[in-house]
Amino acid sequence: MNRAVSLARIFLALLVLCAGLFLQTGTALSAQSSDEQEARAILLEIDDLWRATSSQGTVRMQVKTANYTRSMRMEMWSKGKDKSLVRIISPLKEKDTASLKTGNTMYTYLSKTDRTIRLTSSMMMSSWMGSHFTNDDLVKESRLAEDYEPRISFKGKREGREIIEFTLLPHPDAAVVWGRIVMTVTAQGHLPLLATYYDEDNVLARTIYFSEVTNMGGRLLPALLKVVPTDKPGEYTELVYESLRFDLELPESLFSLLELRRR
Amino acid sequence: MQLATMAWRTLMRSKRRSVITAFSVAFGVLLSVTFTASGDYAYTNMINTSAVMGLGHLSVEHQDYQDTPTLDKRLLDAEAVQQKALQIPGVTAAQVRIMGQAMFASGAKSVGGAFIAIDPARETPAHNIFLRTLMEGRLFSAGEEHGVVVGAKMAEKLNLRLGKKLIFTMTDKDGELVSELGRVSGIFKTGDDSVDGTVVLLPLALVRKALGYEPSAASLVAIFLADHRQAVPIKTTLARLWVKSQDIGVLTWQESQPDLAGLIKVDRLFNYLLQFLVGLVIAAGIMNTLLMSVMERRREFGVMMALGMMPGQVVRLVLLESCWLGILGLILGVIITTPWFFYMATVGLDFSRQIGEDYSAGGVLVDPVMKFRLYRESALWIAGAVFSLTLVAGIFPAFKAGRTTPVENLKQG
Amino acid sequence: MLIVSFAFRNFNRARTRTRITVAAMAFACAIMIFYASLLEGWLAGMEKNAVGMDLGEFQVHARGYRADPDLYKRIAGEEEVLAQLDRAGFVAAPRLYASGLAAAGNASSGIELRGVDLLREPLVTDIHQHVWQGQWLAEDDPAGVVVGRKLARILGLKLGDEVVVVAQAADGSMANELFRVRGILKSVSEGVDRGGFFLAAAAFRRLMLVPQGVQQIVVKRRQASEDLTRATGRLARLLPCYEVRNWRQLQPVLARLFEMSDVSLVIMLLITYAAVGILTLNALLMSVFERIPEFGVMKALGFSPWGLFAMIVVESMLQVTVAVFLALAAGLPLSFYFAIHPIDFSSFVQSSSTIAGVALDAKWYCVVTVNSVVLPVIFLYLVAGLAILYPALKAAMLKPLAAIYHR
Repeated sequence: MNRAVSLARIFLALLVLCAGLFLQTGTALSAQSSDEQEARAILLEIDDLWRATSSQGTVRMQVKTANYTRSMRMEMWSKGKDKSLVRIISPLKEKDTASLKTGNTMYTYLSKTDRTIRLTSSMMMSSWMGSHFTNDDLVKESRLAEDYEPRISFKGKREGREIIEFTLLPHPDAAVVWGRIVMTVTAQGHLPLLATYYDEDNVLARTIYFSEVTNMGGRLLPALLKVVPTDKPGEYTELVYESLRFDLELPESLFSLLELRRR
Repeated sequence: MQLATMAWRTLMRSKRRSVITAFSVAFGVLLSVTFTASGDYAYTNMINTSAVMGLGHLSVEHQDYQDTPTLDKRLLDAEAVQQKALQIPGVTAAQVRIMGQAMFASGAKSVGGAFIAIDPARETPAHNIFLRTLMEGRLFSAGEEHGVVVGAKMAEKLNLRLGKKLIFTMTDKDGELVSELGRVSGIFKTGDDSVDGTVVLLPLALVRKALGYEPSAASLVAIFLADHRQAVPIKTTLARLWVKSQDIGVLTWQESQPDLAGLIKVDRLFNYLLQFLVGLVIAAGIMNTLLMSVMERRREFGVMMALGMMPGQVVRLVLLESCWLGILGLILGVIITTPWFFYMATVGLDFSRQIGEDYSAGGVLVDPVMKFRLYRESALWIAGAVFSLTLVAGIFPAFKAGRTTPVENLKQG
Repeated sequence: MLIVSFAFRNFNRARTRTRITVAAMAFACAIMIFYASLLEGWLAGMEKNAVGMDLGEFQVHARGYRADPDLYKRIAGEEEVLAQLDRAGFVAAPRLYASGLAAAGNASSGIELRGVDLLREPLVTDIHQHVWQGQWLAEDDPAGVVVGRKLARILGLKLGDEVVVVAQAADGSMANELFRVRGILKSVSEGVDRGGFFLAAAAFRRLMLVPQGVQQIVVKRRQASEDLTRATGRLARLLPCYEVRNWRQLQPVLARLFEMSDVSLVIMLLITYAAVGILTLNALLMSVFERIPEFGVMKALGFSPWGLFAMIVVESMLQVTVAVFLALAAGLPLSFYFAIHPIDFSSFVQSSSTIAGVALDAKWYCVVTVNSVVLPVIFLYLVAGLAILYPALKAAMLKPLAAIYHR
């Protein structure tokens, strides 16, 4: 599941990045405006961005690989950094199959057999729902700020647009496979445009493209994400947000095994 | 005593035949030593190799760890166990280790495997085959919190080099997933592809922290003995130390590695069967030779019996001949076997071209060099068996000698 | 021929000594026949376990499958290929493979799913006879599965237990299905023991959404007498677009083990016969030396040295021949007995064990083959022939006068 590993991480990291709009809250952090401080501030907000305190939305996912093309619609909920629930709406065959993440634990409910399995280390690297994401990506997505040290590597014009480019370097002890992540956001509004993942040997492994900036749930963010693995040309996973709401009242019981099985 | 001297003189009369028969016995000794010693060497080697592959000659672990080796099953105070074990005579080392399954990832690739978490300050190559077979780099030091040592095959699969990152993910004691960073400090190559592609050495401290273990907890304490044959008695001694504790179990290598134990048992049985068959053949040959000699000396026996020798004495006479043959044979056997034994015990025969370096049996790599190792008990056993066989071979001829009447014997012309 | 008639007459002299010598040789030969049959039985058992149970004599895959197994690297149009193989004198069965996850209770483990063609597989391998507990797969029980020994232990499975299988189907969706444990296998090989998960081909296809094509075709020669290497070449020419391998290429370590065993039999024979040879040598020497005066007279009367040599050799060969007949009379029934009633090690060996990755049987059958009878007999002649050389030469070189007066 090579294509999935970093893609998901980047995707999720950028999910968070998209909320750069809400920097206002973050800039109050520190008066110092050294590059590093700024980068860190933006990163902290990005980490929180797509989550806010809670969120709910529907997403359409399209996966194209050498062997199949798949289309799915899912509903997602999240609360804080640790809890998230994804339930498949279509296709019919997989309706109600769901993924529940609480902290470091992930469960998958299989609607067809009405069984829940808990994620074990041997399943970590397998693809999530047949996409280019792995289960590991979903579990690790909320740790960007803890695992990486951000630096602004470029500020200026590229392809006619004012952009800021961040380089995220992993902390020496962080349990992440990557050498570095490079994110590009718009200078105005901090909307993510591009994210690239490099392994330790500085080889580009994946790229995520962000587009279709839309107003959703009161925020301006890219509604279309396209994840492209470098080693498998022609393959990609595309996520389209159809609707999103933030800061709702979501009960704790929503993120429980029992809820997982509810049809 | 007179009979004994007579028996000896009889043997000396037909020197050639006696020497040849003694040689036959000697040959039997040679064969027996060859089979037993090569077997014992191979088994000891395999047992010791499997011991240094992780579990030692004895292992002290949680009761249920053997059946379901998940990481929640642990010894709460493994350090104490290790201290106690080291005090028992016969124990050369005791290593505290955590062993379990994990997922290893580097860059875009990942592979499942097994880890052995060791304490670099206490582990030595003598007790750890992976340290012995390091081909690149070295073991991480006590200060290197994140050092790891991987096998050559895994390094190939995950594109690893010295210094590169390796992320490992395990299920901790509460069932949660935990990941940690490792940096490759060394690469080993045992020659067995499946071992080289799945085993990774991790630092004990790091794994303890990641799994949320108590400060002196571990999966097991691997105990190494000077002589693997002491495993069962030492197990009894050890088990008594923790008889009150419900959670602690002591396993011999036979119990923790039943595949290997089964294999050795079968091979040993085959070996004994073989030696028995050859022994039979040699005994039959000796019996026939003795019979021939008895048949030829019927006149002689007739004269002796006519002069007053009891049949019982005749029987004893022949038996004593057979006794002398046995002794002679043993001495001759020792003479011809010793140089061969010394050669095989030190240099041995190298079969690596025929079997190759990656031959494994019972889950353990087999050394392609055939060598000898004879335990004192085995040597005594062989001597005893050979001697008894020679004696047994003489029974029928002795009986035959004592049976016929003097007159019939004298008739032989 | 004068020589032969003399040899025959001499045979009847010194009866006791001759009898004893012949008896010793016969005994040695009989034991060797028994031992050789035991060894052949062991080898046959190993080969049956290795090859006949699961590996098959040949395996056919799509190119690149073995290097990097993949649900999508398939042999298309397998029915046509099977028909082709049938016409060419092979027996074949298609197999479907995929990797997945099995979960039962709180435990889960990676597995290798195997879709079995229930009609054809028994024609090629014997795995259906190696069920330890429960039964093999059946057409009328699509949800029944058979699992490997160690897998059952890891998942804590007993007969009748439910097990969930999760895998990525061919269309990328998450395949999941409930199965019931119908049978647990005996030890087959490391791979099958740890992750073997067998289900009917139809059930596999439904689960993994692979309606056509197979990952592997396992093949056996219809005529076991055909040479393996030649058959491999034939098979490869028949299916040029696929990868064909025989079991020796698939398991080189195992192949080496068998080669070594043949060598060990010869070594054993030499060693044992040498032990016997030494003893019979003495008898032969004596029988020659006692007759030196006789030989002297014969030579004086015109017998040529070579004639004498030949006569002694023929004498000894006669003895060996009688010994051989006796040996066959004793050794064959013994071996046949153990061919039917095996030596049973099961009480000594609790769990199963593997050598070079193949299961070891605790029951040991004798197998009487041409090799196991002919080799011991031939070697006996050889060793006896060698032993008689010195005495016979000595006799041939005698000077008649010195011989006549020899005492």
